Amino acid sequence: MTALTTVTPTRPASRPAPTSGPFAGAVAAEWTKLWSVRSTWWTLLAAVLTMTATAGQLAIYAVNANTDDDPSVNPGILPVGEVVAGALELTQYVVLAIGLFAITSEYATGTIRTTLRCTPSRGRVLAAKAVVVGVVTFLVGLLVGAVGAAVARPVLGEWGRVPLGGTVADVVGSAAYLALVGVLALGLAAALRGAVLTLTVLFALLMIVPLSLQEPGITVLTRIADAFPGVAGNHFLAGDTEPYPAAVGLLVLAGWAAAALALGRWALRRRDA
Amino acid sequence: MITLRGLTKRFGAATAVDDLTVEIGPGQVTGFLGPNGAGKSTTMRMVLGLDRPTAGQALVNGRPYRELRYPLHEVGALLDATGVHPARSGHAHLRAMARSNGIPARRVDEVLDLVGLDARAADKPGRALSLGMGQRLGIAGALLGDPPVLLLDEPVNGLDPDGVRWIRRFTRGLADEGRTVLISSHLMSEMQQTADRVVVLGRGRLVADAPLAELIATRPASSVRVRGPEPAGLAALQARLATDGATVTPDEDGLTVTGVTAGRVGDLAYELGVRLHELTPGAASLEEAFLELTAGSVEYAAGPTGGETR
Repeated sequence: MTALTTVTPTRPASRPAPTSGPFAGAVAAEWTKLWSVRSTWWTLLAAVLTMTATAGQLAIYAVNANTDDDPSVNPGILPVGEVVAGALELTQYVVLAIGLFAITSEYATGTIRTTLRCTPSRGRVLAAKAVVVGVVTFLVGLLVGAVGAAVARPVLGEWGRVPLGGTVADVVGSAAYLALVGVLALGLAAALRGAVLTLTVLFALLMIVPLSLQEPGITVLTRIADAFPGVAGNHFLAGDTEPYPAAVGLLVLAGWAAAALALGRWALRRRDA
Repeated sequence: MITLRGLTKRFGAATAVDDLTVEIGPGQVTGFLGPNGAGKSTTMRMVLGLDRPTAGQALVNGRPYRELRYPLHEVGALLDATGVHPARSGHAHLRAMARSNGIPARRVDEVLDLVGLDARAADKPGRALSLGMGQRLGIAGALLGDPPVLLLDEPVNGLDPDGVRWIRRFTRGLADEGRTVLISSHLMSEMQQTADRVVVLGRGRLVADAPLAELIATRPASSVRVRGPEPAGLAALQARLATDGATVTPDEDGLTVTGVTAGRVGDLAYELGVRLHELTPGAASLEEAFLELTAGSVEYAAGPTGGETR
């Protein structure tokens, strides 16, 4: 081993030294790959349209509930941020596609082999993807959050209010939620490889399982549901104090994202590409 | 320099690469030969850190690929599938690769130039590239970091004659610059045209590792094919050849002679007054050498039990 590591390449190094570190390079490469396929732009458009439709719909429901004959459910005057947070329930599935496809499309097309030849460290590749997916989904979150607020405000009319600080905080919170869900999707996709399987598991984690647990109204089951990423994220977005402070909700969601990344890294290292 | 030491890869019960130890040095084109399924691609994937060896090591310039920080500066590779996203342009594909290894963007245009892809072809999405353009793009990617080691997996597969000639000239040039060039192929005739040295695999095992000329020279003497209209004459010729030390195998059509030259057979036929319709010296080719070398392993592959490798 020692003898071999001292072997020098027979060709002198005439080429210029690398212009960036391997991690910065991997991030730049992921960024270039993301924006050089049209599907990324379609995903953005779909996210904006979904937010527009869902926020509009939720705002109409709120207005109807306030103006119908049934006084038992009157939400009253709503901050637009609440509508935005509610609309994320659906919009998140479009946005998390960015994280999902960052890896499943590489497996589907065989480009994963090119990626791993360029950046052989599995941890570095996944970290670079997580940075790009996190940043992009956060920015998309800001965009769709602003769009949602802009749509909800006129629809809510007299039943809506836009406190500047609160709305900005809600939009930034939504962006953070989407970024973490995006990274969660990335990590799971790295472990599971296939888009359909990953999306199914995400549906289960974010919606189906916690909903089923909450349905019977049994305290123990509800507490378990509170530990799921989507529920934790909602506690964070709603600014709840029960069952745990909002910040804890964010941490729980972040924990899920980190665990998914760790799982993905483990799978990438172990498996043949 | 590529170093394989006891390299082994098993998929479940099947052994794809079996205890392969070989060193592939610089300044020459090394042909990596074997029938389909012999383990060539698996070996290359292990060298590139894509597949994990079950046992043994694959080293590039003395280090495992997975430990390289800027691998494109050390190893360039063209794999069976070129690895371009169907919706991404060739140019963007190369740009992303270049960025990952800190290679300046102008190098992308340089390598596109080197392989003869113009801007129009480079802007096409992956799915619109012809096989030949795809191979050229793959080679452009392999050259991005100006690496001293190149691995090309079946580079002439599906290319038109022009493309094949181009690859031959190109790889020869790369080896002449002092690089290590490893080209896999299941086409022996192709390697006869390109390789200086061949490493032959059969069922995952090393069958031969020798300079091309040596491999051809050391195989048993080539045969001479003889045909004629007179069975009696041929029989006389056969008897005469036997006294001359030649080995003669008659069949319904004529004779196959080994151990003497075609010229000697012709002279003897003239002496005996035997009429001949055919006298063909069989050229010793790598193809024959290869078939002999891998015959056992291929037959074995077709066998019903396959117990010996277990």
